[in-house]
Amino acid sequence: MRDTEKTYRFEDQRDTIYKVDPEHPETATLPLQRTEELLLNMGPQHPSTHGVLKVILELEGERLVKSTPVMGYLHRGVEKLAEEGTYHQFIPHTDRLDYVCAMYNNFAYCRAVEKLMNITVPERAEYLRTIVAEVQRIIGHQFWLGTQALDIGAMTVFFYTFRDREILLDWFDELCGARLTTSWYRIGGVERDLTPSLIAKLRAFLDYFPPKIDEYQVFLEKNRIWLARTKGVAVISAEDALSFGLSGPTLRGSGVGYDLRKYEAYAAYPKCAFNVPVGKNGDTYDRYWIRVMELYESVKIIKQCLDQMQEGPIMASVPSVTLPPKDRVFTNLDSMIQQFKLFSQGFDAPPGEIYCGTEAHKGELGFYIVSTGGGKPYRMKIRSPSFIHMGAFDHMSRGYMIADAVTIFGTYDIVMGECDR
Amino acid sequence: MSVVALAKKVWEAALFAEIWSAMKVTFKHMLHKPITFQYPREQRVIPDAHRGALGLLRYDDGKERCVGCDLCEAACPSRCIKVISAEDKSLPLQRYASEFYIDITKCVFCGYCVEACPVNALAMTKMYEFSTHDKRTLLFDKKRLYQIGEQHLEDGKKYLYAHGQEKNDQMYHDYRYFFPQSVKQSTQPPPKHLT
Amino acid sequence: MGLKPATNPDVEAASIDLTIDGKTVTAKDGVSLYDVISSTGKIIPAMCYHYTFDPFGSCGMCLVMQEGKKAPVRSCTAKATAGMIIRTEGDDLFQARKKAVEKHLSVHPLDCPVCDADGHCELQDMAFQHQVTTLANAKQKLIPEDTRSLVLDFNMNRCIACGECINICKDVLMIDALQFMKKGGFTQVVAKGDAPLACEFCGDCLAVCPVGAITNKFSKYLYKPWQLKKTTTTCNYCGDGCQMHVETKDNEVVRVTSPLSWKNKWGDRSETAKGHGGLCVRGRFGFQFIDSKARLTQPLIRKDRKLTESPWIETVETVVGRLADIKARYGPNAIAGLITARCSNEELYLFQKLMRAAIGTNHLDSSARYGHLNFVHAAQHALGVGRMTNDSADITKAKSILVVGSNITETNPVFSLRVKEAIRVYKSQVIVVDSANTNLAKLASHPMLVKPGTEGLFVKGLVKSVIEQDLIDTDVTGRHAQAFAALKQAVAGLSLDAVASATGVSKVQINEAASVFAEAPRSVIICGEGIVRRPGGYQHVLALIDLLWVTGKLGRPGCGINTVTEEANEQGAVDMGTSPEFLPGQVPSDSDEARTKFSKAWSTPLPNKGVGAGLMDILKKCRNGEIKALYLVGENPLGTLPASAEVKPALEKLELLIVQDPFMTESAQLAHIVLPACTFAEKDGTMTSQDGKVQRIRQTMDPIGESLPDWQILAAIGSGLGCASMEYESSQDIQREIMKLLPGYYNLGQPKKVTVNADGYLSNGYQAEAAGRYCAEQKAADGGKRFSLTMGQLLYHSGKLSTQASGLLLIASSAGQLHMSLQDMERMGLKDGDRVRVWSAKGTAELSARADLSVLPGSCFYPEHFNSPPIKDFMTVEVDAVTGVPYFKQAAVSVEKA
Repeated sequence: MRDTEKTYRFEDQRDTIYKVDPEHPETATLPLQRTEELLLNMGPQHPSTHGVLKVILELEGERLVKSTPVMGYLHRGVEKLAEEGTYHQFIPHTDRLDYVCAMYNNFAYCRAVEKLMNITVPERAEYLRTIVAEVQRIIGHQFWLGTQALDIGAMTVFFYTFRDREILLDWFDELCGARLTTSWYRIGGVERDLTPSLIAKLRAFLDYFPPKIDEYQVFLEKNRIWLARTKGVAVISAEDALSFGLSGPTLRGSGVGYDLRKYEAYAAYPKCAFNVPVGKNGDTYDRYWIRVMELYESVKIIKQCLDQMQEGPIMASVPSVTLPPKDRVFTNLDSMIQQFKLFSQGFDAPPGEIYCGTEAHKGELGFYIVSTGGGKPYRMKIRSPSFIHMGAFDHMSRGYMIADAVTIFGTYDIVMGECDR
Repeated sequence: MSVVALAKKVWEAALFAEIWSAMKVTFKHMLHKPITFQYPREQRVIPDAHRGALGLLRYDDGKERCVGCDLCEAACPSRCIKVISAEDKSLPLQRYASEFYIDITKCVFCGYCVEACPVNALAMTKMYEFSTHDKRTLLFDKKRLYQIGEQHLEDGKKYLYAHGQEKNDQMYHDYRYFFPQSVKQSTQPPPKHLT
Repeated sequence: MGLKPATNPDVEAASIDLTIDGKTVTAKDGVSLYDVISSTGKIIPAMCYHYTFDPFGSCGMCLVMQEGKKAPVRSCTAKATAGMIIRTEGDDLFQARKKAVEKHLSVHPLDCPVCDADGHCELQDMAFQHQVTTLANAKQKLIPEDTRSLVLDFNMNRCIACGECINICKDVLMIDALQFMKKGGFTQVVAKGDAPLACEFCGDCLAVCPVGAITNKFSKYLYKPWQLKKTTTTCNYCGDGCQMHVETKDNEVVRVTSPLSWKNKWGDRSETAKGHGGLCVRGRFGFQFIDSKARLTQPLIRKDRKLTESPWIETVETVVGRLADIKARYGPNAIAGLITARCSNEELYLFQKLMRAAIGTNHLDSSARYGHLNFVHAAQHALGVGRMTNDSADITKAKSILVVGSNITETNPVFSLRVKEAIRVYKSQVIVVDSANTNLAKLASHPMLVKPGTEGLFVKGLVKSVIEQDLIDTDVTGRHAQAFAALKQAVAGLSLDAVASATGVSKVQINEAASVFAEAPRSVIICGEGIVRRPGGYQHVLALIDLLWVTGKLGRPGCGINTVTEEANEQGAVDMGTSPEFLPGQVPSDSDEARTKFSKAWSTPLPNKGVGAGLMDILKKCRNGEIKALYLVGENPLGTLPASAEVKPALEKLELLIVQDPFMTESAQLAHIVLPACTFAEKDGTMTSQDGKVQRIRQTMDPIGESLPDWQILAAIGSGLGCASMEYESSQDIQREIMKLLPGYYNLGQPKKVTVNADGYLSNGYQAEAAGRYCAEQKAADGGKRFSLTMGQLLYHSGKLSTQASGLLLIASSAGQLHMSLQDMERMGLKDGDRVRVWSAKGTAELSARADLSVLPGSCFYPEHFNSPPIKDFMTVEVDAVTGVPYFKQAAVSVEKA
C-alpha cells in the first residue's frame, strides 16, 4: 500500500519556516509548528536487527523517508584472515560467516577452491554435499520463518520451527561433531560419510517434516495480521531487484526465476527433479511463500539423493591437493609427506583468479579468489547475499511505516556475520 | 469470485476461522510430552563424533603418544596451539613435547589438529563443561590436556573412530610411532609394518 | 668435467648453440647441460646438484631427453655440446623422475614427525611434487645415529647419499672432512676415517643437506621451520660481513642459517668468485650469546659501593647530570670515550657526535685502534685510500697471493675461501708467511714458516730480493726515480742472508717468493694481525706497499693490498670518525674545510685542533688525572690490555666510569654506571665490512630485558646534554644524516672500486721515510726464555663476545690451553691436557697444554679470547709512534712441566 509520491512529497521546509525579511526583522515570528525529519538510530544494540546492525532512519512522522544502514559492527576481517592461512585452513573461518548456515559457506568455499584447482569431486561426495546442503537450506528457512514471524509478533511459529531445526542440528552434531560450526566440507570432497544411523534418522525426518510445514502454514497462511504485515510490504520490481543484484528468494519473489542450482547445475542437482518456486508481486509475502515452498522442494531433493546415491569414495584423490587417507599416514612415507606438506604449507595453487557462486538459501554466495601461486590466496572476496541485499534496504523501505523496518530486514534473511564479514 | 466463495470468506472472517484452526494445532501440542529437558539435571546424549574439549592421549602402556612434531600448530586455523619440543632427557635422541598449550579461549573446535596429527596423539572428547570464573585456567597446558585425555580416553578413541582417523581393529591397537631403532634398542617388538 | 668456470680472466670459452624445448640457447662450451637449462629459467629437480661444486650425479632426478638417445640422460653430468636437441618436459620424464624419487623414499624412515628438516626438505618437496602415492611400507635402515661430533649429529637413516655435504667440504671448503663409507650394508656419510668429526665446523654440510641427515646439535628438536621467523642480517663476529638468516621463535634464537642452502642451488659457477654464501662456525653456531642468561637486563648505578638496579629514566638523568657536572668543573677535555667496533655505523657516528658535539671533547677511540688503524693510516698516507683495495672477485682471480701474518682460515674463515678458490679453481700461487703452520700454509704453493715476530722483516726481505733480482717494473719506478733511488739506498743496508737467518727461511725461498709475486700478472697482498698488530706494523704495511710499487702492481687491475679485521665494523669505525685523528669520512680532524662542514651540520663548534687522545693516551690521561670521566661503549680495555698497561689504576682513578655493554665485563665491574645495551640482533643499522660493503643489520627480536639499542642510549644522553640535533626516532634518521654528510657512503653492499694514487706520497718526503724503514730491527734479548709466546685468535672465537656463546665454548672452552708443538711436548714429556707452568719476569701461570700441529717448535700460542689464566699479563705494551696502536701480542716466556 505504497502511497504515491505526490501524497508524500518530503521536501525540506526549513527554509520557509525560518525565512525572515532582512529589512524588517521585527516582523519575523516563530513558526507555530516546525516540521523536519526525525533522525532515529536503530541498533546496533537492537534485539530485532538480527545482530549488530545499525540503521539511521529518517522519519517523517511514522513514515520512513530514508534509511542508511551502518555496517561493520561485526567486521572481523575474515577476508584478510584468508590471506594468512592455507586454503584448507580457511574452511573453519567460513563457518563464522553466516553462522546460521555454516554448511553452505563451507560448500561455496570448497566449490570455489575446487574450481581454482580444477578438481572433480567423486559422485558420492556430490550426493552427500547436495543432501547436507539441502538439510542446511531447511534449517535456514526454518530459522528465517521463526524469526520473521517472531518479529511480526507470532511467537508460536518460532517455537515449532526451532523444535524441528533442533532435530537437524543434532543430526549435524552426529555427522560432523558440531551443530553450527560444522567444517564438514573438504576441498575435494567431504570429511565423513553418512553412517546408516544418520541415513535412517534423515529418512525418518523426511517423513516427519512435510506435515510440520503444513502446520507452520496453518499459523500464517490466513492469519490476517501476518497478511497485513507482509502483503504489499517491501515491494521491489523485477528490474530493480536485478539492478540491485539481489538473488535467492528475494529475487525470485519479484518473479525472476534465477536459481544457480538450475543454471549452473552443480553437485547432484542436475540429477534431481525439483521446482524453483517463483513469486510475482515482489513483496514480503511472496518471499515467505517461496521459502515455504522451497522447504517442500528440499525434502524432495534429499529423498531423491538418498535413493540415487551409490557407494564410492567421498574424497577426490588428487595427491597434491587433497588430504591422504589417515590410515596410510601412520605407515607410509608418501602419505605422511603429503600430510605434512598439506598441513604445514598447503597446496600450490596455480596463479589466476576465479569466481564461483553457489545458491545458498539466502541467495548467491560467491567466493572470488585471486591466487598468485603458492599455498595462500593473494586476495579473497566474499560476495555475501546479506551484504548485497542490505544495499536495497533504503530503496525497499522508503515510504513504509517505522514498524515495518524490522520486517524489511527480515525479509532478506539477514545475518550480520556474513554481511560484515 | 463466486458468491459461495465470497460468502465463505466473509463467514470465516467474521468468525476468525484462522484463529480457531491455529488454536487447534496449539491445543494438540498440549498433549505432547515436552521436548525440552532440564539441564544440568538432565544431560544430552552426545554423539561420538562430537568435537568437544581437546585431550592428549597415551598409548595403552602409558607412554605419551605425542612426539612434538608441531603439525597441529601448523594446521590450527586460529593459532591457539603452542608446542615446545625438546629432546627427551630420559630417552636420548627422542623428540617429545616438553610443553604443550592450547588456548581454549581461541580454539574454534574445528578438529584440524586431530586430523593433522600423524600419531593420533590428540583427540576431541565429549567434554564441554569447562566454563570458569578465571579466564587464565582456560589456557590448557600439557598436564591438563593429558588429564582430559585420561579422563575421557574412551570418548577420545570413539571420536577418532567416528571421524575415520583411526579404525577399531587390531592394527590400530598395535600401532604406535616408532623412533628409529637406531635411537635406542626398542624394548617392544617392532610394529607389523616394519617386519 | 673441470672444476673451472668455462670463462675465466685468462680464457674465454667458445659459444655454442643448442636447442632446449624447441628454443635455441647460446651457452659457453664446457658447461654442464644442467647449468645451461637452469640458466634459461627452467628448473629441473635435482637433489644432488649445487652450483658451488662439480655435478655429482647420484640422485637421478635431473633427467632430460636428448634427441638420438633412447633413454633419458642425467643433465648434470652431461656436458652441453653444440647442436644438442633437448627436451626437459613430458610425461615420460615425469614418470622417470617419479621412479627416482620413489627409489629414495623406499628406504627412507618415517621420520617426518621428529625430523628437524621437515618442511624444509627436498625429498618431501620432490615426493609431493611428483605425487608419489603408491609407496609400499617403509623399510628402515636402522643405522645408529652418530652423535660423537661436538656440533653435528649424523642420522644416516635419512641420508639420500646425494653427496652434497662431502662435495662442498671437499670442493668449496677444501677441508675434506667427510667421506662415504660402506657400513652395515649401507653407504653412509662419515667423518674421515669414521672418527668423530673434527673439522672447522663451518656447518656448510648442514646447510646443503637436502634432508635431515645432518642436524645441528644446538637446535635439535627445538623447532619446525614453520614456527621460525627468519631475518636476514649481517654477522657480527668478524669483518667479512657475511649475510645470515637469524631464525627466531618467541624472542629466542633457535638457529642461524646461511644464504648457502640446498634451496638456492642454481647459479653460475663463476659467481662463486664473489662468495658462496656460507658461514663459519662462529656465525652459524655462535648465536647463543644473543639470548644468553648472562645478558644485562637492567641499568645499574653504584650505590654504597654496590651496583644496584635502577630505572632507565633515573639512570640516564644521572649520566647526563654527572657528565654535565664534570664538564662544568673540569672542561670538556676531562671526558673521554671508547667504543667497540661491533656497533653499527649509525651508533659509531652518533658516539663521535656525542663526544665532539654534545660534550666537546676529542678524546675518543674505537677498537679499530688495536691494529686496523695501522693499515688505514698506511694506506691513507701512501695510497689515499682508507680500506683494502680489492674485492672478493679480485682475490679469487689473482694469479699470486701473498698472505702475510694472517691465519685467515681461523680469523676470517669465509674470506679465506676466496684464497682457497683461487688455489683450486684459478690455480693461483699462494705465498703464506706466518710463524705458524696454518691451514692455508698447508694448501699453499709457497709456505714460508718464519720465526715468530719476523713477518715484517720477511716483507723487507722480499723488497730487497725484488730489487736484487731486478724484478722491478722500470716503467713505474722510472716515474719516481728519486723515490726509487731512495728505496734502493734504504734496502742496501739490509742483507738477504741476515733476513734469512733471522726469519729462518732460506734465501732461495725468499727469492722464489719474490719472483712468484713479481712475475704474476695479478698479485694481491693480504696482511693480517701478524703485520698490523706486531711492533712496526705501520712501517711494515708501508713496506708491503713498496713491494707493490716496485713490482709495478700498484693501481693495476686485480692487484692490491688488503687486510682483514677481527671485529665486524672496524672499517665503519674508521669511516665514521671514531678516532681523534679522523672526522666522519676519514677526513683529518684538523682539516679546516671539514671542521666547518661538521660544525655547521651539528650547529656547534668542534673541539680545538690538535687536541685529542687515542686509546693509550686516554688511559694515560686517566691515570694522571687529566680525564675524570670515561664512557665505554662495549669496550673492555681491562679485559683486553695486559696488566702492564695499567688499565685498572686508570679506571679506578676516574670520577665517573660509564660502561654500556650487553654483558657484565671486567671493566663494567669497576663502573659507576652500567647501561645494558643490545646485541646486533636486536637493533637496526648498517655495518661496513672490511672490503667496504655497507650492509644492513636488522632487528630479529625484541631487546632482552630492558636493554636498549646503543643508538637510543647515545641519543638520549646527547639530547639530555642539550644537543638539539641528537633527537632521533629510528636508526634510519641517523642514516639520513650520515647520507647528507657522506654522500654515497651507503653502497648497499656494492662498494665502488677504489683507485689508488701514490704519486703524492712518492714525490713528497718519501726519501726520508724510506731511509728509516729498512734498517735492521733490533731483536729484543729474550733473556734466556726458550719459548716465544704468541696470542692470537682461534677459529671458534672472536674477541671476548664469543665467550658468551655456549655453543662455541663447547667446541673451545674458556679454560684456555697453551698450544704447543708436538715436538716440544714430546721433548718435555708432556701429554695433551698436562699442566704446564709458564713464567717470565711478569709472573707465573699454570695451565694445561695441548698439542697443536700448526705451532712451530720453540713457540707456543695462547688464544687471546680467554683471561683464565691471564696470560695476557705476560705481555709488554709497545705503542706505535705514528699511529698509537698498542702492540702486546708477543712475549718470550719459559715453559716447564708443572
